[in-house]
This record gives sequence, structure tokens and C-alpha cells, in this order.
Amino acid sequence: MSEDWLTGPVLEQLNSGVLVVDEQLQLVYLNSFLQRHSSVQLSDVKGKSLFQVFTDVPEAWLRRKFASVLELQSPSFSSWEQRQYIIKLPHLRPVTSSSQYMAQNCTMLPLKDPAGRRYVCLLIEDATDAFVYQQHLQTTLQKLELSNRIDGLTQALNRRYWEEQLKLEVQRAQRYQQPLSLLLFDLDKFKQLNDQYGHLGGDCVLIELTARVRVLLRDTDWFGRYGGEEFGIVLTNTALAGALEVAERVCLAVNSTAVTFHDQSIATSVSIGVAQLDAVGDRAHEVLIGQADIALYNAKRDGRNRVVVFSAGETEFLLKAN
Amino acid sequence: MSTVFSEEQRDCLQELINVAMGLASDKLARFLNTFVHLQVPAIELVNSAQIPAQFEARYSNTEAALVSQGFLGNDGLRGEAIVLYQLDNAHRIAALLGYDTDSASELEMLTDISSILTTTFLNGLADQIDNSLSYSAPRVLSSRQNNVSEALQETAFHWELALKVDISYQLVDHSFNCDMLLLIPGEAVLNIQKILERILEEY
Repeated sequence: MSEDWLTGPVLEQLNSGVLVVDEQLQLVYLNSFLQRHSSVQLSDVKGKSLFQVFTDVPEAWLRRKFASVLELQSPSFSSWEQRQYIIKLPHLRPVTSSSQYMAQNCTMLPLKDPAGRRYVCLLIEDATDAFVYQQHLQTTLQKLELSNRIDGLTQALNRRYWEEQLKLEVQRAQRYQQPLSLLLFDLDKFKQLNDQYGHLGGDCVLIELTARVRVLLRDTDWFGRYGGEEFGIVLTNTALAGALEVAERVCLAVNSTAVTFHDQSIATSVSIGVAQLDAVGDRAHEVLIGQADIALYNAKRDGRNRVVVFSAGETEFLLKAN
Repeated sequence: MSTVFSEEQRDCLQELINVAMGLASDKLARFLNTFVHLQVPAIELVNSAQIPAQFEARYSNTEAALVSQGFLGNDGLRGEAIVLYQLDNAHRIAALLGYDTDSASELEMLTDISSILTTTFLNGLADQIDNSLSYSAPRVLSSRQNNVSEALQETAFHWELALKVDISYQLVDHSFNCDMLLLIPGEAVLNIQKILERILEEY
């Protein structure tokens, strides 16, 4: 063919790696791309074993791949998604990428020379761009997942996620027969506070309250915003006495120091209802919420800024007064 | 859909596939160092819209893998080969291929198995019609976590015709069953018909 002269220059300028080994897996050819990236000269390594020249390739795995290509005379593949690289090479975006080595899509092809001798050609394509985009995507998805769980204003868990966690913790407590308690609390006279200081003042109090409560909790507790000014805390592996202690501390932390908003001091307090899980069955978490809610209502009725524990006799709400 | 091919063309295609299977099993047997018996594969032309329903029953209650690999040859021969098989089956084949569980990820193992099955079979097919094929890298469409019929639905609808090849590999100690689907776009079907016509004329 008259276009034979093309193959050499194209192979040399190709932006992919081309490597050829014979049946003994000795190097026959490396194109410029590979020679430059790996700082190896073809003339120095020709005839040497692939594994002697590239010492960190996964030898057993690659031998198996090459054996299947030679025996079956059909191609074999490797994707960066499963194996980031076969031959460790630097890539050309060292600044913008978080990965140190070139991510590679590899194809292993069977070749025969005119005399019928068998070879394997390893094609290495740079997939670093795809790798980097994939990592960005993962990070973004993680952020998205987080923002999907969090209440934007207070940074406490949002209601949907908090309720999911409550449900799971209730199931876990039932399975392992561990105690579990729930606090539901409500900022006292929040409407009045909003009227007096504006909604920004109200928001400021909610943010400050959340911050003060959070430091009182363990990593294993779940703190969420249940409604406008209502919050819930799931206390795992905690019986009533412990829950009561936490509740008293929350009450004190909110009431002891006024919140400062635009040089004004806003005195504030919370009412807290406490209940320990005793219900069984699929709806146990709902029963628990109902019990803590009744206790919370009683705390409001008894004069606010206090903690009330649910007692089994209380089964229904009286007229709710805020 | 069977009207797409004449009866003669169908027989011819079945014969080509039988021979391709024979070649593939011979190669596999030598590679795996074990006796491989291949049953005569049943072929069926199906409307691609019916595919998800056809496979749902077989794979819905089991962990299955679905791996796709594109192929491209001369004379406008092209399409996508999809291999479906049960995962517990795959682990037995993986052991034969020399995989131990820690040196390679499951996805890597699945793509390797599918690629070997697909390319040995399709190369055998191509050889007989003086064609040669190149392949895209295999891609796992679904494994244990995803729903097989959903994945099929997303893939199959892009194609006008599907050639369903039911392959059953019987190895000495155990059997390995899988389904192979050759999804072929409309104009490539016409090209296959031309190829079949040419072969029939030569006889």
C-alpha cells in the first residue's frame, strides 16, 4: 500500500500509549507517548521482560489477561473505573487534578506478524479527565446528600431525615433491647418574640438555641428541627433518668443567658417533653413522638421553661394553650 | 419480527451461529483446560420492546449481571451484545479463569467473563463471513444492586431488532447458563440480510 508511510508517524504522535509484547511477554515496541511518559527508551528495553521494565504493574493479573488474549485471539479490556491504571504514568494535568497518576482505559489486542508469530498490543488511553469529572461528581453528590439532610437556617437535621433516623433508632433499640429516649422541645412564646423583634430576631434566636443545644449532645444523638420553633432530640441508649438530665441542661443553657440581637438582649426559654420508648411494633416511633408531645404540652401548661416527663396515665391532649 | 428474514436466511443465520458457537467452545475449552460442551443455541428474533418482559421472569428473583459490549465490523455490521447471567454462576466461572476474590473487583470479573464470551463467539461468527470485528470496552449495565428489567428497558428501546441467542455452556463439573442478546439497529439488519444473501448465493 502506498500509504504505508503514514502508520509510523501517526503511531509516534498518537496521544495514547502503544506497547507490544511477544508471547514471552518481552517488549517489542513502545511508542513515543509511552517512552516519554515513562522516561524509558525503546532501544534500552527492547527484548526485556515487560515486568522487568515496568516493575509496579500487577503481574499476575496482567499475565492472565495476556494469556486470554493470546489463547482466545480476542481482545481484553480494562477500565479506569475498576483499575485506575495498569502502568503508573504521570499525567498532563498535574495542577488541576487530585489524582497523581494517569487514569487509563486499556485495550489488549491480539496481533500476528506476517510469519504468524503472536503478539499482544496494549493500548493505553488517558482517561484522567473522566476520572477528575467523576470525582467532582462524587463530591457534589456528597454535598447534595448533606444539604438534603440539613435544615438550612439552624443546621440541625431537617424533619424528614430526623424522623427517618428516629424510626431506625427505635427499630435498633427494640432489636437489641436497649433504652431510647426522646426529647421534644419548643421555644416559649415564639410568636410574641417574632412580633417584638421581627422575624430576623426570631431566626437569630433559633440559630443561637441550636448552637447551644448541639454542644450538649453526644455524636450518637440525633438533633433535628421538627417544626417552626419545635425541635427533637433522639437519645440513643439512654433511659429516662439520663434523658431528664440532658433536658434540664438544655433548659438551663437556653434560659441562663439572653440572646443578643442588634444590641438587644432577648431573654428566651424552652419547654421540654421527655419520653422513653416503651411501645412495640411498627408504629412505636409514632407513639413515642405522641408521648413526648403530650409531656411537652404539659410543660407549657405548667408555666413553660421547664421539663416534664411523660407519665403513662396521660393519654390525651387537653385544649392546647401556647 | 420473524418476517424480517426469509426462512432461508434464518436457517443460514442459525447455521452460522451454530458454527460460531462450536469455534467458541473449542477455544474456551483449551483456554480453561476443561471440557466445554455447548448446546445448540436457540435463536429468536424479538421486538426490542418485548425484551424486558421476556427476561424479567428469569432474572427478577436472583442476582444477575447485565454487561454490554458494542461491536463494529465491515459491510455495515454493527450492534451491541448484551450478556445476562446469574451472579452465583459467575463466581464458578471466575474460579476457572483463575480469579481469586481479593485480587480483582467483582465488576472487573464480570466484564472479563462477558467480554470473553462475547468476543470469542462473535469472532467465530465474523470469521465465517470474512468479516472482522472491533469491540468497545464492556460496560456493566447492572449488577446486584440494580433492577435487571429496568436496565434492559433503558438499553433495549434504542434498537429496532434484537437477536436473542440462548447460550448454555456445560463445563465438566458445573454448568454455566447465560443469555446473549445481539441488539442490531435497523440499517444494520439490512446489511446482515445482504451478507446472508451473498452467502446463500455462494452455495
